[in-house]
Amino acid sequence: MRMPSLSAKPKNERKDERDRNNNEPRKLHRNNNSRVREYPALQDHPLPNRRAAASTSKDAPTNIRDGAGGPDGSSDSPKSRGLRIFSHFGLPKTPGHQIKGDIHPAIVKLGLQFSEFKICGANARCIATLTAFKTVIQDYVTPPHNTLSRHLMTHLSPQITHLVTARPMSVTMGNAIRQLKLEISGSDIDLPEQDAKDALCHKIDEYIRDRIIIADEVIEDLAVKKIKDGDVVLTYARSSLVEKILLRAHSLDKRFSVIVIDSRPLLEGKTLLHSLASTVPPLPCTYALLPALPSLIIDADIVLLGAHSLHANGSVYSRAGTAMVAMLAKEHSVPVMLCCETYKFSDTVMLDGFGKNELAPTKFSPEVPKSNSNLEALNPLYDSTPASCITAVVTEVGLIPPTSISSIPLALGRTTL
Amino acid sequence: MASDPQSTANQRIVEDLVSRLRRRQLVGSRATALETLLVLRQVVSKARFSNIDQLVNVIRIVGRRLVEAQPKEHSVGNTVRKVLHHIREEYHTASERPTVQSSFSIAKFVLQGQPRKQTPIPRSETRVPLKENDPDDPDSFARVLKPVLMEAIQDVFDELETVYDNISKNAKDHIHSDEIILTLGMSRTVQSFLKSAAHYRNYTVIVAETAPSYGGREMAASLSSAGISTFLVPDSSIYALMSRVNKVILGAHAILANGGMFATSGSLLAATAARSYSTPVVVCAGQFKLTPLWNLYHEYGALDFGDPSAVLGFEEGDLVDKVDVVNPYYDYVRPELLDVFITNYGDHPPSSIYRLLKETYDDEDNEL
Repeated sequence: MRMPSLSAKPKNERKDERDRNNNEPRKLHRNNNSRVREYPALQDHPLPNRRAAASTSKDAPTNIRDGAGGPDGSSDSPKSRGLRIFSHFGLPKTPGHQIKGDIHPAIVKLGLQFSEFKICGANARCIATLTAFKTVIQDYVTPPHNTLSRHLMTHLSPQITHLVTARPMSVTMGNAIRQLKLEISGSDIDLPEQDAKDALCHKIDEYIRDRIIIADEVIEDLAVKKIKDGDVVLTYARSSLVEKILLRAHSLDKRFSVIVIDSRPLLEGKTLLHSLASTVPPLPCTYALLPALPSLIIDADIVLLGAHSLHANGSVYSRAGTAMVAMLAKEHSVPVMLCCETYKFSDTVMLDGFGKNELAPTKFSPEVPKSNSNLEALNPLYDSTPASCITAVVTEVGLIPPTSISSIPLALGRTTL
Repeated sequence: MASDPQSTANQRIVEDLVSRLRRRQLVGSRATALETLLVLRQVVSKARFSNIDQLVNVIRIVGRRLVEAQPKEHSVGNTVRKVLHHIREEYHTASERPTVQSSFSIAKFVLQGQPRKQTPIPRSETRVPLKENDPDDPDSFARVLKPVLMEAIQDVFDELETVYDNISKNAKDHIHSDEIILTLGMSRTVQSFLKSAAHYRNYTVIVAETAPSYGGREMAASLSSAGISTFLVPDSSIYALMSRVNKVILGAHAILANGGMFATSGSLLAATAARSYSTPVVVCAGQFKLTPLWNLYHEYGALDFGDPSAVLGFEEGDLVDKVDVVNPYYDYVRPELLDVFITNYGDHPPSSIYRLLKETYDDEDNEL
């Protein structure tokens, strides 16, 4: 059973790489105004475009780079250096990206919701993706001389690629898709098509239920026990799980107050604040921006944080700013509880938040005077918290130290031992 | 004293500054220091005294009023202390008593080999013997002493005028080619420091925008217009970017006696993040920010809070009633988190700040 998942991964990576290549021309076009006009025109023709997406595209970006490098790079060396340091971040995705190939309407819609940040957050994105895939699978018809278990994945791949062009894939989506591939390749050839599709949809429902919804409920139970009467709970930005924990604790008549710390670019804490303040009786809340944290951390008894993903070396990839909250809490000996389902575990390591990151779209950027070529706004969405700053990770299998993820067999997207 | 017409005139200047400080029409440590100095010069020039104690007393009364008007602007008190120190020094020289100042000064020690721009000009030598409490001519003491005092105050004034130039003259020794510097908020000192380094070096600055004042945006605009490659980032990404930062350069609001400092909120986060990556933290500040105070007991910076509407505005109407909003102005940064203070009197580690304080002010003035 393990073999397909292993073989599936490199393919996945290759796809990512191809995608990155695909982004490059767009990124470079930003610097070279004269070409901006040409490129969208190119996009209208599916054929050359697809060729650019394929591996032959190696030549195309280099040509463009040569063109852009001359006037831009040599005239302004400090800027090009700055660009080089941050170049691996890529440019923030612009909404309204083009559609390549046979993309299901549900995926097109989802792609737009991703790129517009209407659906945001690791759990929400994973559930939305899986739900959309259910529709795609139901609408899928196996072509003649093919079997579902062999062909469905080739049908799903461009859909996944489309979602990734909208926004880089989250670890949760990656884990879920890997699991889905496993199920597809394992589905019985002799099963009638409709039955096989129903079985797959059932598996997806089960995954959502077991790994996310039930897991969340178990985590709520575990985490609520750690909130005592009179406690001050500090949290950063908004994690759907932390929000549920706080609301549950409040519904259990625990008397505690919450400090919500927030920061640009997304200011998600306001959403959390709205839902906490609208409880009856209202939960006592304090709201402050990140620079005010040192003044408030001394009041906190416990820090609850959410995560985007948790890596094999115990580092936590989460909303930018989380690392500083955890760091300061550790300094003040406030316990930091990270709430995270096991399906967010990733077997990769992450050494700092700089290597892998994502930029917020330009609509979240402050007004930057356009005339000034030396100034650039950069809005990373994530950072990486070292394991040393985390007291415990609350998972559905219990409270564990962040470094012992690899010892949880259920983690890393595997359901079998 | 109120009956004295001259002191009422003085009172009016003092009152004017007091109310401007209280209403926060005058903010910023250098601006308040300059205004304080102008008032003190006026006070000294109009004061009537027949011995040094009377003069010191007058200045202290004025100083106390100004400090009470705005205790968070530490540079007001510092300027008063500095002027008092200079007055005593001049008095001792004039009365030809052995000077109390020790011959060894750590500031001079650091500066040896790189003399200050304005080398102290020998004062107009007053050979007229000073006579205190002369019953025949009570004004003679003031008449003899005043010109020297005016010169001394002018020296303090010149120092304040040139403080940015003097801090940034060694900027190129601190910033090297291709470095990535992180700074935050809007600080004139840091701004001139970075701009001066840009004449010699090609480097990149990352500016955290420092919510809710967003002073970083102004800073980033100003630095980039000077040709420095600048990146403006939200405060939340300081930690994520810190692994690529070579140096953190901060401004200070006040340097405290233990070597810590009050600085724009956000500074503590940046300094703590820097320490976890062992990145050096450099503070640029004029000597007028040296404050003989300690802050060991509270974390609420200088216990000064800003307008909460900047954090959560009234557009979030339904929340405003239910939520406490906190917006502190300053952070207190402990000396362990800082590596060096770059002042107009040379570069000092936090551990030698106490010594600088002893040299700059007289102990009896710590409490005005």
